[in-house]
Amino acid sequence: MEPVETQTGNELSAEKIQSDFAGAAPALPERKERRRKPRSWEIPPAPVPPPRLDDYKAIVGAADIDELRFLAKELKGKTVKMVNSTAVGGGVAEMLNQLVPLLNEVEVNTHWDVITGGNDFFEVTKAFHNALQGSDYQLTQQARDIFLMHNEQNRQRIQFSEDVVVIHDPQPAALIRARQDSGRRWVWRCHIDLSNPNLAVWDFLRPFIEQYDAAIFSSQSFTRQLTVPQYLFYPCIDPLSEKNKDLEESFIQQVCDEFGIDRSRPIVTQVSRFDRAKDPVGVVEAFKQARKYVDCQLVLAGGGASDDPEGAAVLKEVKEAAAEDPNIIILDLPPWCALEINALQRASTLIVQKSIREGFGLTVTEALWKGKPTIAGAVGGIPNQIIHKLTGALVHSVEGCAYQMRYLLTHPDFAAQLGQNGREHVKENFLMTTNVRRWLLLIRILLGGGVN
Amino acid sequence: MTAAAVQIVPRVPAKPFYFNTSAHLLRITRQKATTLQEFLEALRECPEDSIFQHTFRTLEEHHFIREGFSNDFAHWAMSACNEPSLAEGLASVDVREFTTIAELRDRFVQIVQSFLKRSPATAARSAREAFYFCASDTVVIPTTFIARTLREFVEGLRGISVHSIHHHFIEARLRLKLMSNDFSQWLHEDLGLNEAARQLNRIDIYTVTLEDVRQQIIRVAERALT
Repeated sequence: MEPVETQTGNELSAEKIQSDFAGAAPALPERKERRRKPRSWEIPPAPVPPPRLDDYKAIVGAADIDELRFLAKELKGKTVKMVNSTAVGGGVAEMLNQLVPLLNEVEVNTHWDVITGGNDFFEVTKAFHNALQGSDYQLTQQARDIFLMHNEQNRQRIQFSEDVVVIHDPQPAALIRARQDSGRRWVWRCHIDLSNPNLAVWDFLRPFIEQYDAAIFSSQSFTRQLTVPQYLFYPCIDPLSEKNKDLEESFIQQVCDEFGIDRSRPIVTQVSRFDRAKDPVGVVEAFKQARKYVDCQLVLAGGGASDDPEGAAVLKEVKEAAAEDPNIIILDLPPWCALEINALQRASTLIVQKSIREGFGLTVTEALWKGKPTIAGAVGGIPNQIIHKLTGALVHSVEGCAYQMRYLLTHPDFAAQLGQNGREHVKENFLMTTNVRRWLLLIRILLGGGVN
Repeated sequence: MTAAAVQIVPRVPAKPFYFNTSAHLLRITRQKATTLQEFLEALRECPEDSIFQHTFRTLEEHHFIREGFSNDFAHWAMSACNEPSLAEGLASVDVREFTTIAELRDRFVQIVQSFLKRSPATAARSAREAFYFCASDTVVIPTTFIARTLREFVEGLRGISVHSIHHHFIEARLRLKLMSNDFSQWLHEDLGLNEAARQLNRIDIYTVTLEDVRQQIIRVAERALT
């Protein structure tokens, strides 16, 4: 995928981008023909081995890691099973890929199973997923039957002999019917926002959920009233991942050079899919208002335009709004560009996430972790991360966003303090190590390991 | 010569200081408030763990902020209800003046009650966002640090996490039921360092970070070493 820059003389068409990414042989501009090898971000990187707990000592301190080991001591030999619906792709699989090895490292034997199902099942669960987050949906008997049939097939296929079984999200929720031994504990981990669900779907799922011993949500505002205890586990980022690890200054400069970003002027960046919920057009408008007062550039770095018709339409709208302004750089990047995204965030003066609908908003977490002053819409899980004027700036409109851009660009000391507080906030609440701590605590509590 | 200057430091304390820490898991309770009236009712009825979470614990969660954050109640009154005078009243509550959660709850109830008496029109006004009452499930765990001397105590203070500082220095009064903390108690009872113990109790936890608190405690203990 090629960056789409609005800079004069360097513009590439949407059709050209599509064909480039698809591996066709496009008519390359002169600049590209001179390249001897592909740029680093054009090739998917090799997978990296998962980190070990000691690798985090330099980040969170030895005391925090020791505490995790003490917490795990009483759980030595206990067994846990995680069950979700996909082994690759998506935030849940990414999180489990990191969490499972870390739990095993502290000798909490953790096994991860993925449910299987046909297209009919995943069509139903996709519809459930959207309906539970508020979309219109007509629940049919056929959809119920498909959901229950595939859950039943998985119940028969998977062994449930562990001390704690954790079921992630609605797709496998009916596996609770495998529960037999009362000594085992079952937990439902809900990664989606249930604050405004389609009631037909929720009423269908609720009797399953209330058979669990506990439910876990990502934000207080995502919950429903339930008869079982509900815990709050914030989503987290891995500070050692490609997207978040420290980078060499030379690499950051190289990425900026490749994308035509001028580091001598302030850089305002939004990283997110080209999706109306992220309001990229609103960001362009806010930037244009702010730029009347302060010289700066806008980088909109995202993806989703090549494999999603709506994404392509949004990208088109953004380009129209940008109107070939040479100070607006629009990048449609492939999904494996974690290092480049990391570099762009680190090169930025301010980061914006002007969402009008949002899940938890992990791009905000990433920005805060990099110590960047961050402006974000007060929606979804963002207020859990941004405490207005303390760890960032919350905004409710284009005008509010523009004002905060101007203010933070012209008050660098205050902006730096926000960035510093934001990083500490992430260190305390939204890192992988905190996630491990929460799981260990929950397992101890569920297995009667002593709450004081 | 002052009383502090003539203190004699015993070589070995009566008993070692075991550094522990507490780990907390956030539980979401059934109470939720969308107006100040609902907030007052929930404040009266919520479990004590909730009051603990939104005061003692939130201070720990936001330990890196030097100013402008005191407790979740004050923050909500300001950010969601836009009531600065109520927020100031709630923020002025110093958790260290309380040795029981019941007393602390009464104080918050009193502040909200008297505000609503003065401004009854605000009681039913919808807040911009709801206040969700959470609670904390706590597990106390040991650390690798044990102090058998004052020097080891200083080393321990340097090595433990800020969670352990919070556990011994701030949460401790709920355990001890005293206007004190574990560090001061040990310095006073086991080492006879009464002035150092008193100095620790004068550290202002609301205008510095917990890391700053750690450094101040270390300075007091180091002075007592000499």
